[in-house]
Amino acid sequence: MPLADFCCCRSNLGYADGQEREEAAITRPDVLKAETALKQPRARGAVSVVGRRRGDATVVGDLRQQGSLKLLFPRSDADAMTAVLLNTAGGVTGGDRFETRIEAEAGGHLVATTQAAERAYRAQAGETGRLRTRIEVAPGARVDWLPQETIVYDGAALDRHLRVNMAADAVLLLVEPVIFGRAAMGETVTDLRLRDRIDVRRDGLPVFADRTRLTGNARDLMRRGAVGAGAGAMASLVYAAPDAARFVAPAREIVQHRGGVSLVRDGVLFARVLAKDGFALRRTLLPLIASMSVTPLPRTWIL
Amino acid sequence: MGMGMGTTTRTGTGMTTDLLTLVHWLSPAYPVGAFSYSHGLERSVEQGVVRDAATFDAWLRDILELGAGRADAVLLACAYRAGDADELAETDALARALSPSRERAMETTLQGEAFARTTAAIWGGDAVALTYPVAVGAAAAAQDLPLGAVLEIFVHAFAANLTSAAIRLVPLGQTEAHTVLAGVAPLCRQIAREAETAGLDDLGSCVFLADIASMQHETMYSRLFRS
Repeated sequence: MPLADFCCCRSNLGYADGQEREEAAITRPDVLKAETALKQPRARGAVSVVGRRRGDATVVGDLRQQGSLKLLFPRSDADAMTAVLLNTAGGVTGGDRFETRIEAEAGGHLVATTQAAERAYRAQAGETGRLRTRIEVAPGARVDWLPQETIVYDGAALDRHLRVNMAADAVLLLVEPVIFGRAAMGETVTDLRLRDRIDVRRDGLPVFADRTRLTGNARDLMRRGAVGAGAGAMASLVYAAPDAARFVAPAREIVQHRGGVSLVRDGVLFARVLAKDGFALRRTLLPLIASMSVTPLPRTWIL
Repeated sequence: MGMGMGTTTRTGTGMTTDLLTLVHWLSPAYPVGAFSYSHGLERSVEQGVVRDAATFDAWLRDILELGAGRADAVLLACAYRAGDADELAETDALARALSPSRERAMETTLQGEAFARTTAAIWGGDAVALTYPVAVGAAAAAQDLPLGAVLEIFVHAFAANLTSAAIRLVPLGQTEAHTVLAGVAPLCRQIAREAETAGLDDLGSCVFLADIASMQHETMYSRLFRS
């Protein structure tokens, strides 16, 4: 599927990371400051990578990068290929558009993660940041989609859609952790628009879907008894593979009362975990992900 | 009682028959086995999250407003409005895929199958195995029942079934439990009204702990309910 033609206005402004962006409004000339106040610069980014089997290893078959998304490929002894996603815009805000496409060709194994936690900053009124991720897993192939946490800040407006197409004998491990404000920094999220969608199709048939929507005062919502009972972080995990059933009991052992694990249908394991903050969430997620991995966790995931 | 909100007001025997058909389909007497599903409430009671009328009231409102109450209403409305068999199948496949646990999948598929079987046997048509809200939406469209009323009674019947479960599980007295149910009636109507024009893109939920409770229910040592 061809990627849309993206402009990259954010990178023209030379913002290297979120902090610089935040400071920019203060330090840049008045004329630019006024323009920034009028309309936030919009980041555009698109990456696409194909993991191709060569001998026992998976190598980069095709790579496209545009705008403020980049992929890094750390050297590794493992047969699997690791791709590290980097957002040079330093976060997501209203109006941003990011597209990621990951494909593992037949027999290939691709592990994708992010270089840092993604930050969804306050959005301007009426603006929403959109992230679209597509994952294709061919027969006999495997993709581990293991991004680090997405931290949503007060006032964030984020719309994400993760779509997976996999072959019947392919393997998919995906995790999506979300942190509602940084509790350790005393941040609370009282104004949030979050839509997070996951669709997994196996041989064209929908086998798993999740539609998370948190709109309004996230702190108060997360305090409700059937929602979060005061949790500040949540993760969803899907492991889809013909052998998914055998991972259910070990996963329950790891998660304990902190979440739930279920074989929602044959060949699809789903887990949800809640924690008081990002650190506590990671303490559960690390062994949980490791229990379903065949390669060491990406280094970015170490506590 | 405001039946048929947002739809053309119909009077006379036609409406009466429609209403009775609806009440029949969604009454506890209809053989879908609704009484055997607690939607994870059994686990939430065991955990002490739901322990009295006030905590049940809060839990029920969460489920209705932020969970399956709203989601199933939207799925029902989409099934009702489905233009052809493909659109109906797509709605049903999504409804199945959205189940957060094995038991919640069973809750919606087994009730849906039983509903379709009985309804086809009495009212005619094919007994297509569909998830529960999709089966009700499709049958209501086939009988040309007013969607607004279907949604109101469907959401209320869901709340009533969970109230019956709470009476047995917490346990709650009949009067205090039914006070909770009467109290959520306006919420049921609001959800029904919003679902009437909603599409699949409007689906959304955030009852993470209720999802987790339904997953944990699978490993409870002794259980009265199938979910």
